Amino acid sequence: MISEDIRHQAAQCRHYAMCKIDYLGTGLCASGAEHQYVSHFPQGRMDLCDALARNVVPITEGLVEIAETCNLCGICDRQCHFITGMRPVEVMKALKKHVREWLEQGNVPVAPPADADLERLREIVGGQWATNDPAILMTYANDPFPLAGPRMPRFVVLPGNRDEIAAVVRYANDHGIAYAVRGNGGSVFGFVFTDGLVLDMHRMKGITIDAENWTALVEPGVTSFELQQAAVKQGFRVNTAEPAATVCGNIVCTGLFSTWSNAYGVNADTFVDMEFLSRDGEVFRLSDPTAPNVFCYEHQPTSSPGICTRAFVRLHPMTDDEAGMLVPFTAFDEAVSFVQDLSRRRIGLALGVLGGHYLSTFMAPTASLALQLQSTLSETLGMRYAVFLVGDRFAREAVRSMRPAVIDAELFRMLLLGLPNLAEGAWQDLVSGMDGDEPAYELLLRPEIRPVLEAILRPAPETLASAVDEDLRDFYTQLYTRPEMTDMVWLNMFRILSSRMSRHKHMFAFLVYVPMDRPALIRSICDRLRQIADAQGLENDFGFLTPLDLGKRGILEYDYYIDHQNPDDAERIRRAAADFEPYLEEISVTIKGVKWLKNIFSQGCARKEAFLYT
Amino acid sequence: MMGRESKETTLITGGTGFLGSHLVARFLAEGRRVVALARNREGMSAAQRMVRLLDWLKVPQNLRRRLEILEADLEVPRGGLDPDTIMDLQNKVDECVHCASDTSFAVGKREQVQRVNVQGLENLLDLLAGSRCRRLHLISTAYVAGKQVGKCSEDLPPEDGIGDVFKDALDTTRFHNVYEQSKHRAEHVAMQRCAVIGMGLTIYRPSIVYGDSRTGRTLAFNALYHPVRAVHYFRKLYTEDILRHGGRKAGALGIHLDADGTLHLPIRVLGGDGCGVNLIPVDFFLRAFQAIRDTADPNGVYHIVNPRNTFISEIVTFTNRFFQLTGLRSLPGGEDLPRNGLELLFDRHVQAYGAYMRDARVFDRTRAEAVLNPVGVVCPAFTYKVFAACMRFAVDVDWGRRLWSDTTTPVTASKQKTSSC
Repeated sequence: MISEDIRHQAAQCRHYAMCKIDYLGTGLCASGAEHQYVSHFPQGRMDLCDALARNVVPITEGLVEIAETCNLCGICDRQCHFITGMRPVEVMKALKKHVREWLEQGNVPVAPPADADLERLREIVGGQWATNDPAILMTYANDPFPLAGPRMPRFVVLPGNRDEIAAVVRYANDHGIAYAVRGNGGSVFGFVFTDGLVLDMHRMKGITIDAENWTALVEPGVTSFELQQAAVKQGFRVNTAEPAATVCGNIVCTGLFSTWSNAYGVNADTFVDMEFLSRDGEVFRLSDPTAPNVFCYEHQPTSSPGICTRAFVRLHPMTDDEAGMLVPFTAFDEAVSFVQDLSRRRIGLALGVLGGHYLSTFMAPTASLALQLQSTLSETLGMRYAVFLVGDRFAREAVRSMRPAVIDAELFRMLLLGLPNLAEGAWQDLVSGMDGDEPAYELLLRPEIRPVLEAILRPAPETLASAVDEDLRDFYTQLYTRPEMTDMVWLNMFRILSSRMSRHKHMFAFLVYVPMDRPALIRSICDRLRQIADAQGLENDFGFLTPLDLGKRGILEYDYYIDHQNPDDAERIRRAAADFEPYLEEISVTIKGVKWLKNIFSQGCARKEAFLYT
Repeated sequence: MMGRESKETTLITGGTGFLGSHLVARFLAEGRRVVALARNREGMSAAQRMVRLLDWLKVPQNLRRRLEILEADLEVPRGGLDPDTIMDLQNKVDECVHCASDTSFAVGKREQVQRVNVQGLENLLDLLAGSRCRRLHLISTAYVAGKQVGKCSEDLPPEDGIGDVFKDALDTTRFHNVYEQSKHRAEHVAMQRCAVIGMGLTIYRPSIVYGDSRTGRTLAFNALYHPVRAVHYFRKLYTEDILRHGGRKAGALGIHLDADGTLHLPIRVLGGDGCGVNLIPVDFFLRAFQAIRDTADPNGVYHIVNPRNTFISEIVTFTNRFFQLTGLRSLPGGEDLPRNGLELLFDRHVQAYGAYMRDARVFDRTRAEAVLNPVGVVCPAFTYKVFAACMRFAVDVDWGRRLWSDTTTPVTASKQKTSSC
């Protein structure tokens, strides 16, 4: 019997697939690393525990193996807590216990049904890499997107190479089996479901760095984190998406953007060439003269050009004097104008305006501390927005000459490691007492104050670790002794904190390309999205804004937050959609420079010029 | 002290504020009927806030039945009250004490301050127009004098040069902050409107009000309290650094702890060359208010101020003594010295009060003293004993953080030493 409390915990999994990458250096779930299906990673076990509790999946042979191969090592607790605050080990224990007791009662696991198609698929990819076990299928049937219901596939196939993909696609085409591709086994937007065959690319993790050509050849199972690791080892950097997102999948899907897009661009700027397998099973390269033109843009939903089997991704140089910097602002328009100015002056590589919610969520190891911190930053310090920058020493000197009040790398480390004390009440009261016309941050960021801040914050890994559960404190202390964990450049390259945005609730992100020279327009878009959310009682907040193409355009993220397990929230977002969809569509066709990302989905190979300047 | 029950009804705005709540208690003690206007805040209704304050003020239950609490927002027309409530109010209110005020100084809060202090008054007078209310007691401030130097009279200063306050920026040639400007404007609004509707107007101009001079009890921990609180915070911070963390951070700033527990905290306070700060305790304000209200002409302006300013050097001495410190010292003039981090933080705490710490204004008391002296209402001197009572209370309630949970236990001097330091 799985308790409702455990089921509820299990159902909270955000499906960010962060348990499938070793982003904290803890190692990976051994069972997942061996079996590679989503179902064998903590994410899959969470789904299965929920499904078992709701009695919507039988205990199958596959499920027994999944339960038994979990060794309760605790890696998932550390990984998951870092980004979501959840503790999956309790769920894993409950799943194992439930299955064990069920077997002890003399029950026999359900065997998957015999299926001739499955046998043929197994001949193509190998016996262990194709399955129709209902428990395994279940973990590919649903995602925490509230407007898409579950769809159970018939098969899940993990091809090992391009030829196997081609053979599977041909077989599916010949036998009328629909298929969908999932780069890393999940789809947080809920757009990738099928009742046919799911191709999970997780086995295809080849990365070849071509240093002479400044490119990385990437297979479709390679995640952003893994590519960045490989690139950095050879002194390069890539523009990547969220760490667990696959590089190929992300390019094809949304075009891949980040704060680095200021320097490195978006969409077609990201790659030198790509290889696709067409719907007919034919292989082509985008650079082939006869290849379909995927560099154009159509303002309507379009299908992808096929399955990306390889991408030749651009590598970028790094210098050894790069560091991060945050420039605080009280007013949105001022922050937008400043970041645009930096972009057009070519100052800085990564650039973006972050809201208080974003910044506090990224920095704080727990949701409650993030909430306190947001209040501290926004209300007490007057730092409602921050312009984030990564730049070399010349760029940073330029920024200091433009805005003296900055949080440099050293101060950021101090603030991060002293976070619990930064949000502490007496200190906040002290700062609140500084009634004046200038925001408090202007004084607090002066160099003379730093020794006092150090005494107040007592920055140390132990200080930060004091904010988390007692049994995790040693782990957090060790973790934060590593320099990269407080390094804005590393954190922004590997983006391991981005999943924290969905920590307290599932995030529903709106992404809109905007003209950067119109801060009032950008603010009005945020205001309208806020009004729509407020009318439905949905939590919402500004996310970030990154300039593109020398500050001419930018990409704006505005976020709604929902409990994806709450039917009321699903209904709220459905009602909100009736307002935001026509609004975003209208501004996308009537205002130059505005484009909602919805129609760019599956057009991620398009040249940015094809949609930013129409 | 409970007076005879009266059928007279007094409307008090800002009933949940520092002065307003004390006045509610005082009027109830006199046996008057009181209608208190207040807003809901911090997840509490106006009534809940009022009850909490009455408990704190130790108002007996039997007096509270004469209190009516109306949840109203004077920032909106007619306080947002429904027509029946307004009619009822107009039929029963005999006098009104207008305490509701926003005391923010920051230019960034100009619109909010003007909305509360000026538009709020206009809305109140709209509410009272046609009512039986015959007298308005306006709680203003001595600092409507703005940047005047020398003697400030108990009259309305000229209004020249101040137009539409909702559009105009802060007039920095005449006022130090938006609060002064808004209260100045409010006095003129009150005078003009009361003249039109035939209502008596008494304007009370207190200087800086602190807690009770005997018990130190207070509801507000701003003004005098802010900078002292900052010193107290630094004391705790660096004492802990020395005792628990080796004192490296303290040492870097020249801070050290003597064997007897005295902390050397080198902060140079820019005291200026002015005449110090004018401080009055809340108990004096209440007695003065009552005396003026009971005996004075319904029309008049009264400065409720201390005849003697307190020099910053005195407060510095008091602070050193109370918190067992050395190193805190007052510098004459606004010397342009390099400042360390502690001093910069401290400066920021007193920045908004700079004009009040180095006051060049002398408030005429002729009219007020003509009323107060005959009835023996005299402002207590701001001695160390008074300072210590106030700071003892402040520390005991952690500068207001424990105001509602721990308000009655007195702290002895010896206990204070250990608990506060």
